[in-house]
Amino acid sequence: MEQAGERESEEFTLVARKPYFDLPTACPACLPLFIYLKLAHFPFRLSFNSIFPDSDQIPYVESGTYVAYNNENGGVIERLKQDGIVDLDSEFHSVPDWVAMKAMISSWLADAMMYELWVGSDGKSACKIYYSDLSWPIGKVLFLKQVYSVKQRLGITKGNAEQREDEIYKRAKIAYGALSTRLGDQNFLFDDRPSSLDATFLGHVLVTLHALPETSVLRSKLLGHNNIIRYAEKLKMELIESSSSSSGPQIHSVPSSSTPKRGPSNWSSKPKSKPKREKTEEEKKFKRRAKYFLAAQLLAVLLFLSVMGGSDADDMELDDEDEGLVYG
Amino acid sequence: MSNPDSVPDLTPPDSERQKPFDTSEIDEEEDNGGDENDVEDDDEDEGGNDGVFRGPNRPKPQSREARFRSEKLKMESLLQRMKTGPVSVRVHDVIIKGNTKTKDHIIEAETEVLNNVGSMQELLKASQIVNLRLQALEIFDSVKITLDSGPPELPGTANVIIEVVETANPLSGQIGAFTKAEAGSSTVEGSLKYKNLFGYGDLWDGSLAYGYDHSTELSAGLYLPRFEGLVTPVTARAYLLSQDWLKFTSYKERSMGLSLGLFSSEHHDVAYNIAWRTLTDPSQVASRSVRRQLGHNLLSSLKYTFKVDRRNSTMRPTRGYAFFSTTQLGGLVPNNRSLRFLRQEFDIRYVVPLGFYRAALNFGVSGGVVFPWGNGFSSKPSSLPERFFLGGNISPVCALGGPTALWGFKTRGLGPTEPRRQVNDGTADPSGVDYLGGDLAFTALADLSFDLPFRWFREKGIHAHVFACAGNVAKLTENEYRNFSVQKFVESLRSSVGVGLVVPTSFFRMELNYCYIVKKFDHDRAKTGVRLTFSAS
Repeated sequence: MEQAGERESEEFTLVARKPYFDLPTACPACLPLFIYLKLAHFPFRLSFNSIFPDSDQIPYVESGTYVAYNNENGGVIERLKQDGIVDLDSEFHSVPDWVAMKAMISSWLADAMMYELWVGSDGKSACKIYYSDLSWPIGKVLFLKQVYSVKQRLGITKGNAEQREDEIYKRAKIAYGALSTRLGDQNFLFDDRPSSLDATFLGHVLVTLHALPETSVLRSKLLGHNNIIRYAEKLKMELIESSSSSSGPQIHSVPSSSTPKRGPSNWSSKPKSKPKREKTEEEKKFKRRAKYFLAAQLLAVLLFLSVMGGSDADDMELDDEDEGLVYG
Repeated sequence: MSNPDSVPDLTPPDSERQKPFDTSEIDEEEDNGGDENDVEDDDEDEGGNDGVFRGPNRPKPQSREARFRSEKLKMESLLQRMKTGPVSVRVHDVIIKGNTKTKDHIIEAETEVLNNVGSMQELLKASQIVNLRLQALEIFDSVKITLDSGPPELPGTANVIIEVVETANPLSGQIGAFTKAEAGSSTVEGSLKYKNLFGYGDLWDGSLAYGYDHSTELSAGLYLPRFEGLVTPVTARAYLLSQDWLKFTSYKERSMGLSLGLFSSEHHDVAYNIAWRTLTDPSQVASRSVRRQLGHNLLSSLKYTFKVDRRNSTMRPTRGYAFFSTTQLGGLVPNNRSLRFLRQEFDIRYVVPLGFYRAALNFGVSGGVVFPWGNGFSSKPSSLPERFFLGGNISPVCALGGPTALWGFKTRGLGPTEPRRQVNDGTADPSGVDYLGGDLAFTALADLSFDLPFRWFREKGIHAHVFACAGNVAKLTENEYRNFSVQKFVESLRSSVGVGLVVPTSFFRMELNYCYIVKKFDHDRAKTGVRLTFSAS
C-alpha cells in the first residue's frame, strides 16, 4: 500500500501517558499498545502527554500526517492491523477460543481494572498515573468526575455497591483461572506465538502487579496464579527492561516525577528486610561501644602518665633534697 | 427690644420657600434667628450664598417682588465679586440626605475634594466634580448639591448639602457591540446589571457575549468602588468562555476562570487572572504541534497595561497620538504545574492632520513577543492561545493594543502552518493546514482618511480612506530562534494596499474596502477584492 510506503520514511511515535511504578507507561489503556509494538519488534519512539488524562484519543500512534487514535476503528491495534502496519493476529481471528478470551479480557478484566483503580482502592495509584503533572485543583476535579463516570459505566449505585463489587471480583477470578489454565507452562497464550491477546493480558497483569497497592483485592487474586506471574515477569524483562538499555531515545514531553521501584523480590519479602536493619543497628552499637572503650583507655593512660609523671618529679626533687641533706 | 411677635410677621407666608438670604428678612436686632431657620429647609439650586456675607443689614422689603429684586441684586454683587477675584470661603460640613441603602462612607469618599476648597470659585468647581463622581457610581437616579451658609458663629463657611435619589429600579439591561482585539473580531454582548445590592455601591452584572468567530462567553462580575479603604475600585469577574478555532487551528478552547482588577487609573491597569483552560480537538484532524498542546492547563497570570491615548477620537482619529503596552507574566504558582510565559505587546499610533477635507494621515506600528520561561525554556513550545495571530475582520485603525489585524487577510490567515492529519476518506479538506501563529509579530499601517466632497456624506460622517499595511509573524521557540534573522523576517513581510469607504454608526464602524494583496505566501488566507470590516468602540 502506498500509504505504508510513505509512512516508512518517517519514524513512528507512540504517544502515551507518563511512566510510573517502574513501567514504561503506567496507564492500563496505553501499556498493552506498547507491549504489542514491542512483541512485533516494531521500531518506534515513545512520547508522553501528561496533561490530558480524560482524553479517549490517547494512546495514539503517529507518523508524519498519519495518526491512529484509540477512539476510532476499534482502537489503535485494530487500526494498525487494518492499515497493514503491524499485525500479529492474522491466524488467530478464526480460532474461537482466541476470540472468546479476547472478549473476556476486554470486558471482565477491563472492568475489574477500571473498578479497582478508581473505586476499589483509595485512588492514590490513579492520581499518580493520571494527575501527578496537573495542578492540584484541576486534578482533584477531574478525579471526582472520573470516579462518577466509572460508577455510571459499571452500574454501581449506593444500593448495589457491595453486590456489584463481588460480581466484578468473581468474574476477574474466573478470568484469571481460565487464562492460567490456557497459559500452562507456555511462553505465550496461543500456539507459543505472541498475539494482541498476550499484549492486552500482559498489560493488565503488569499494571495490577506494579501499580495497584498491596492491599488491593484484585492483586491478591492474581498473585494466586504463579504461572501468570512468571509469564509476566519474564516478558517484562525481555521486552521492557532489556530494550530500555539498548533501544532508541525516549522523548519525555514533561519531566517525570520519581518512580518508586518495586521488583519481584518484594511480592512477599517484608520479613527479609527486617533482619538487615537490625544487623546494621547492632553494628552501630558495637562501634559506639568500641569507641567508648578506646576513649576510656586513652583517658586512663593519660591520667596515669600525668599522675605518675608528677610523682616522679616529686621523687626527683626529694632525691635532690636528700642529696642536699646528705651533703649538709 | 423688638416685639417677639413681630418676627413671625417678617417671615414669608410660605415658609417652604425661604430663601437663603434671610439676613434681609430679619430685624436689625435679630440677626441670628433667620440663619438657623434656613439650614434645614433650603432646597434652592446652587446659585450663591448670600447668607455668608452678612453684609450690611438691608431694610425690610415690603413685597415679594421687592424681595426677589433685592436677592437678584445680591446675586449680581456676588458674581461681580467673584469676577474680580477669589471670594474666600471654606466648607464646614457636608450633609448627605436621601440615602436609605447606600452607606454614608461611600458618598463621603467621593466628597473629599471639598475639604481643600479655599474660595467660592473652587467650591463651585469642586461641587461639580463631586456631582459627576457620584453620578458615575451609577447607583443614583439623581444627585443634587446645594450650597448653603455655614453656622452663624463661623463666618466665611459654607455647608454642602448632597441630596441623592437612589435608583428605583436596581436591575437594568443593555445590549451592545464590542471589538475584542485579541480575538480579531467583534462580539455582541447582552448584560444585566444589578445595582447596589449591599449598599456599598456594588454593581453586579451578568453577561452573555457571542462573537463572530464562534466564541461564547458567560460571565458574572462585581465592581466595588470603595473596598476597605483601597485607592482604586476593585473589580472581580468570573467567566466561562468557549472559543471555537477548529476551522483555523483545529482546536477548541474552553476556559473557566476568575479575573481580579487590582489597580486601575487613567494610564495604568493591573489585573490578575486565574483560569482552568482546556484545549480539545473533537474533529481529530489536528496537526502534530496542536496535538501536543491538547489538554488541561492552569493559567495564573498578572497583566499590566499602560495606555496613553491623546487622539481626538477612537472611531475617526484626525489628530493626536496613542501608546499602548501590555505585559503579561504567567506561571504565578509555587510549583511548575501551570503555564509559564512572558508576553509583551505594544502599539504606537500617530495621527497627522492635513488641513483640507478633514484629512488625516494615521500611522501605526505594533509588535509583540511571547516566550515560555523555566527550565529548558528555549526548547519548549509557547502555548497556542498565547501566540500572535494576524488577520481578522476588524479594521486595524480601531484595533488597538497589539498586532492583530491586517486589511485583506482573513482571521488567523497568515503565518507558520503545519499540515493536518491525513484522513483517508473522500471528504478530506483539501486545504488541510493548521495556522499556528507566531511568537514574534509585527504590523505597520498607514491610513489616509478624508471627507468626500458631497455634503450628505459629510453630514452622516461617512468618509473615505486609502490605506497600506504590512505584517508578519515568526516562530522563535523550540530552538527556532537560532534560525531567525531580521533580514529574512523583513523579506517575508506580507502587505496589502487598498481604498475604501468608512461608515460610522452609533454601534460600530463599518468599512467597505477594496484590498489588493501586494505580497502573500502560499498558505495565507487572503484574497484581492472587496471586504467588509466591523469594529466597535
